[in-house]
Amino acid sequence: MTVLVRLALLAAVLALWEVAGRAANPLMAVPPSAVLPALRELLLLRSYPDLPASLLLTLREIALAYGLAVAAGLACGFALGMNRLVGRVYGPMLAALYAVPAVVWYPSLMLFFGLDAASKIAFGFLLGFFPVTLAVLAGIRQVNPQLVTVARAYGAGPVRVFASVMVPAMLFTLIGGLRTGLALSVIGVIVGEILGSKRGMGALINHAYGLLRTADYVALVLVTLVLIVGSDALASLVERRAKRWTD
Amino acid sequence: MTLRVRALQVVSIAAMLAAWETAARAGWVDPLFVPAPSAVVRALAKIGGQALAGLADTLGKTAVAYVLSVVLGVAAGLFVGSMRLLREVLNPFVIALYGIPKILVLPWIVLVLGFGAAPAIFYGTIHGLFPILVLVMGAVRDVDRTLVTVARSYGATTWQLYWKVLLPAIVPSVLAGMRLGVVFCLLGVLVVEMFAGVRGMGYVMSAFANGFQAPELFAATALVSAASIAIVLALDHLNEKLSHWRG
Repeated sequence: MTVLVRLALLAAVLALWEVAGRAANPLMAVPPSAVLPALRELLLLRSYPDLPASLLLTLREIALAYGLAVAAGLACGFALGMNRLVGRVYGPMLAALYAVPAVVWYPSLMLFFGLDAASKIAFGFLLGFFPVTLAVLAGIRQVNPQLVTVARAYGAGPVRVFASVMVPAMLFTLIGGLRTGLALSVIGVIVGEILGSKRGMGALINHAYGLLRTADYVALVLVTLVLIVGSDALASLVERRAKRWTD
Repeated sequence: MTLRVRALQVVSIAAMLAAWETAARAGWVDPLFVPAPSAVVRALAKIGGQALAGLADTLGKTAVAYVLSVVLGVAAGLFVGSMRLLREVLNPFVIALYGIPKILVLPWIVLVLGFGAAPAIFYGTIHGLFPILVLVMGAVRDVDRTLVTVARSYGATTWQLYWKVLLPAIVPSVLAGMRLGVVFCLLGVLVVEMFAGVRGMGYVMSAFANGFQAPELFAATALVSAASIAIVLALDHLNEKLSHWRG
């Protein structure tokens, strides 16, 4: 029942878009019926032959940004979480930085790393880093200290305690943070590309928008959305696997 | 302990600034990209007037977007959250809209609304609206059914039910949403100013970055960050006061 209503709603929105799009100035808005041919031209590489290269570049930027964010976030989170004093000193400072909208750092990154891929990777890294770090901190707080004490009492070394007690106990929180981190790394790279780049999906979107090729713009946005939704679906799959494993 | 933590925080920041200053003076980093803190302070004095005007502009737009997000978010959340069918139908759409990067529609928003305050306010509002909407919808769903039943059986009108039962019951979630929303609104406004601004801090920072004016850029970034942290701390403080008052 709800599914049917949802589908009807979706159809209504599309129909409304079609009607409004036909009535509107074609430079400003295009109906879905005009987007489909544009999407076909795009996917057949007629309108933007460099689509595969751009997609690949954006994916590479995301992979690098996320990889760095995970590595640094885990390292930083465990460094802050394992020592009480260190955590109490630097934890609030990290939280304060988290209260700043991340985009304020982007101009500095652009100045520092230039207009090419490096500034996008740096921004995606920055956005992904915080949720990973904060998830590690939250996860460590969740570990029951008695479990650690018991493991120690039975003669487990620090490595054993870490791998067999702490990681399983905090895995679920950690995986959630890793998923949020991926979503934010993806957003960071795409925001960076749209705010200024010469290559990548963001550059193509800006190009289409700048030339008022609105149908191409919508098609490019749809392709980028598939990339974003796909990455999140992958992360959610991993999350469910991990959940089953911990249960 | 608290005193020691505070002291260590101050010492860490001082040490970092000292190391940075030394590195810049000794020429270990290129002052074109990483200016010394003293140069940043001088730049802050120099750009003070311009930056404060930009900040006022940005914060004004953010305030409008924020009021719109809170009012629309709470109203829509109450309405949708309290109707079971509506909530179940719309929930996945709301979550999806919350999750997808809004930057993809930014070019189109600018295309339709032009340059100036309108796209910034609109984009800031859609950034702030969704976290509030999602939280309020969830909170209304979880309101104790007994409260509603009792109010109904004592003859409460629909208006009284919303105003006297549901709204007070969801205050904590509204406050949590308000705290999240303000950073999102500021983020949205800054992104638009960077993408297509002619005024405001986002524009000012982009202009400094494009002009390779690193000291001025760092000063402007510090100013925006400080303003953002101050706003969040003020909201936290207000939150605490209100929770004391609620008891």
